[in-house]
Amino acid sequence: MVEADGVENLEFEWGKKRGVGGKKKDVQFYETFTYDGVEYSLYDSVYLYKEGEPDPYVGKIIKIWENSDKTKKVKILWFFRPCEIQNFLGNEDSAENELFLASGEGVGLANVNPLEAISGKCNVVCTSKDSRNPQPSDEELQAADFIFCRAFDVGNHRILDKIEEKVAGIEVKFIFNRIDLQKTNVVLKLDSDKKGASGNAIASYETGVPSQQTPTIEHTNLKTTGISIDNLGKDNTGSNSSLVKQKSSLREKPTSTVGVESDEMAKSNDRMENDFNDGTKSGLIVKENTELKASLVEQKSLLRKQPASSIGTEVKISKTNNRQENVSTDKTTLRFEDDSIMVGKRVDIEKKVKNAKDFGEMEDRPSKRAKFDGFVKVDDKNKKSPQILSTDLDGNDAKALATITALEDKSRLKLAKDTQVAEKDPFKKVKPDDKTKFSNGKLPKASPGRALDEDKKIDHQIMEVTRRPDTDRSRWFKGLPWEDRMKTANEQGTLVLLQNLDPTYTSAEVEDIVWHGFKESCTAKMIQQTSISSPHSGQALVIFKTREAAEIAVRKLDEGCLLLSNGRPLVGSKTTCYPEKKPSFFGHLVIDKLKHQMQREMKEAVSTSHCSQPNTIEYEMAMEWCLLQERSDFAWKKLYEQQGEVLRKLHSSLKFK
Amino acid sequence: MWSLGLAKSGLDGFGCISDIFSLYMASLSAQADYAAFEERRKRTVYLDNLSPQVTEPVVRTALNQFGNVKSVQFIPNYIEPRNIPQCALVEMENTRQAEAVLSEISQFPFMISGMPRPVRARPAQVGMFGDKPNIPGRTIRCCWLDENNPNFKIAQKTKALIWKNAAESAFLQKQVLQEEEKLARQQDETLKANYKKFELIDSITLNDKTGPADKLAKHYDLKIAHD
Repeated sequence: MVEADGVENLEFEWGKKRGVGGKKKDVQFYETFTYDGVEYSLYDSVYLYKEGEPDPYVGKIIKIWENSDKTKKVKILWFFRPCEIQNFLGNEDSAENELFLASGEGVGLANVNPLEAISGKCNVVCTSKDSRNPQPSDEELQAADFIFCRAFDVGNHRILDKIEEKVAGIEVKFIFNRIDLQKTNVVLKLDSDKKGASGNAIASYETGVPSQQTPTIEHTNLKTTGISIDNLGKDNTGSNSSLVKQKSSLREKPTSTVGVESDEMAKSNDRMENDFNDGTKSGLIVKENTELKASLVEQKSLLRKQPASSIGTEVKISKTNNRQENVSTDKTTLRFEDDSIMVGKRVDIEKKVKNAKDFGEMEDRPSKRAKFDGFVKVDDKNKKSPQILSTDLDGNDAKALATITALEDKSRLKLAKDTQVAEKDPFKKVKPDDKTKFSNGKLPKASPGRALDEDKKIDHQIMEVTRRPDTDRSRWFKGLPWEDRMKTANEQGTLVLLQNLDPTYTSAEVEDIVWHGFKESCTAKMIQQTSISSPHSGQALVIFKTREAAEIAVRKLDEGCLLLSNGRPLVGSKTTCYPEKKPSFFGHLVIDKLKHQMQREMKEAVSTSHCSQPNTIEYEMAMEWCLLQERSDFAWKKLYEQQGEVLRKLHSSLKFK
Repeated sequence: MWSLGLAKSGLDGFGCISDIFSLYMASLSAQADYAAFEERRKRTVYLDNLSPQVTEPVVRTALNQFGNVKSVQFIPNYIEPRNIPQCALVEMENTRQAEAVLSEISQFPFMISGMPRPVRARPAQVGMFGDKPNIPGRTIRCCWLDENNPNFKIAQKTKALIWKNAAESAFLQKQVLQEEEKLARQQDETLKANYKKFELIDSITLNDKTGPADKLAKHYDLKIAHD
């Protein structure tokens, strides 16, 4: 929804050309492009968002081109999340943020996507110990969204500990970390990841928090922002007295931080916020962090302070507010800022400029709204979960982040409160607005189906079994044979037999039922029926991810009652497969003396079938078999009829509202 | 993979219109899928009472005399005892051929890879297929029943019944297997006895003119003709 808004006016611009190709030389290849205010270049790692998927895909751009029909395409070399290749990981551990580079040949290595599918940059750092790989610094590792050092061979379904010389035709040096771009990368990353690429927030933000985090790299950055803020200050001097104050505080700080040690910078950061506070009465959001910790008790102040302190974005947002006032006074500062900060969010800035034109300096509430929309959108697209954000910040500002986990609750509290408060203050209004979106943006990420289902479950309402949201993407590959998986599951105790399913259900439907019933993903297989299986109760084998999950599911099914459509309560039990032993088969007779000869004949011939003719011993015996078959058939039929009768009676006593 | 590529282009400007359209298309294709499956089911024959030694090429050659076998799939047996006979789904080229197989095999005892236990053929049922498609338009619902729900007790009873039924089936299965074993043993004995008799008769008229029949003929001065 939010995203759709953004799409319409997403800015796009081609960058450096690379060459032409195609049959008629009508395909133009590029090295860089700017999309939605973010500059992408070849071999950048990006998020690709797919509707309905809880997590975005991560891939590396390995080709960029425009077709003659003006469609823009990118070829993406994929990274796999461990969960996507779980079946092939075996016992290998993987870090939570570890990715596996696709390599080898086959499905899942790379494919062509519309350029518009890119939803943001992703900071993937290669931790391979290969000598050609520029080793990442600790700061870089901390700031990384993902790391990778291993590859997954999509052809052989194996984990490779080393990255091959060439992956998808790309030399390995492009896959390792980049040397020349490392520096700028950090800046980029700060922009795009932490800020959600909102360029206008960057200047004020960077002066504070990030400068503490990576002091060495940040100096240059600080300078540029410092300048821009200086500029702002100059341009705004005439506007408003409170604004001037505010700005002067802004200006003060960056200049001081450049030369100072990080500890002191932290202090100045605090001071900056204090200054903000002093300078603008309306800027009350940015109450200082330290004080807040002590006075959490007080509801009102809590409402305002929490967001400012508990999460980086909050701080940033409030700062943006302040700055926006500056901005609306002068467009040239904006430009300047845009230039000095390499990756500005142009769309937003332009929006701002427009707003600045339309509205007076003081009435910038609507403009703020507009901007925040933009901001949220970016955030959403970046798929940066607040948790990651906050942990990133955690390193810098431990104090500020004691309350991350409770953040959501608080935000709700705040919301509730805020609705009661008369909204004289524009800031108050803006903030909760943003918050709602923020938490909205986050909830579906957590797991859209789950939250809904849980509510449903509590109410004991009927839930419709739909596709579960995170269908295992590993079905790109043909998994291990079911038999093997079943065997391991049997050994690990994760195998469960479900009974009383509709025999016409498919394995996928069973998986979905399990997902909805237990919130567990699993692999299931309907047991194929034979002539002697019960027509009343379809069976399925289900492999759960863990032993605990399997046990819980069985217990729940035993104690509780999961009623499927057409009134079937699901029955589950732990099961063990029959041990492999040589199957015996009765009814094929051989005469001992001829056995040897027969066996040889059997081996040589595949054609060992015939219709038996009357007036032979064989025929008579065959008739005996037919009789027996008929008899047992009759017995089965009777049994199932009887069972069906009882079941039907019981079923008819079910009451449906 | 193509579907992934398509699906990944999540930024679709047309939003809901395309959603509805794709839903519509999806339901159409689901129906088409199911219709195709039904066709396949109709031209498929279910074979059972197969010896575990029977392999795909054996079934293929055995049934190729009634038409063209398109595919043979053995139904895996995961939870039943090991010693129940194999079953297979044999897809023929068309429904007519499948019907021919059914009628031939029910008319004459048909042996594959051994005697005298004949295989049996039946029309294939939906539940026998491991790769059946979803029934289009069917939505599955499920809910956890509250303990106070009047249906709860009934459902619990049903569950118990399912267990009972499963136990009954297992028992019958065991019985059937025992019967089969008994018949097999009986037949084996009969066969051996018959074989012994024939051997005895054979040994009387040995071709090298040294058998008991020749000796007797000599003794009574009779002539017997050897064929």
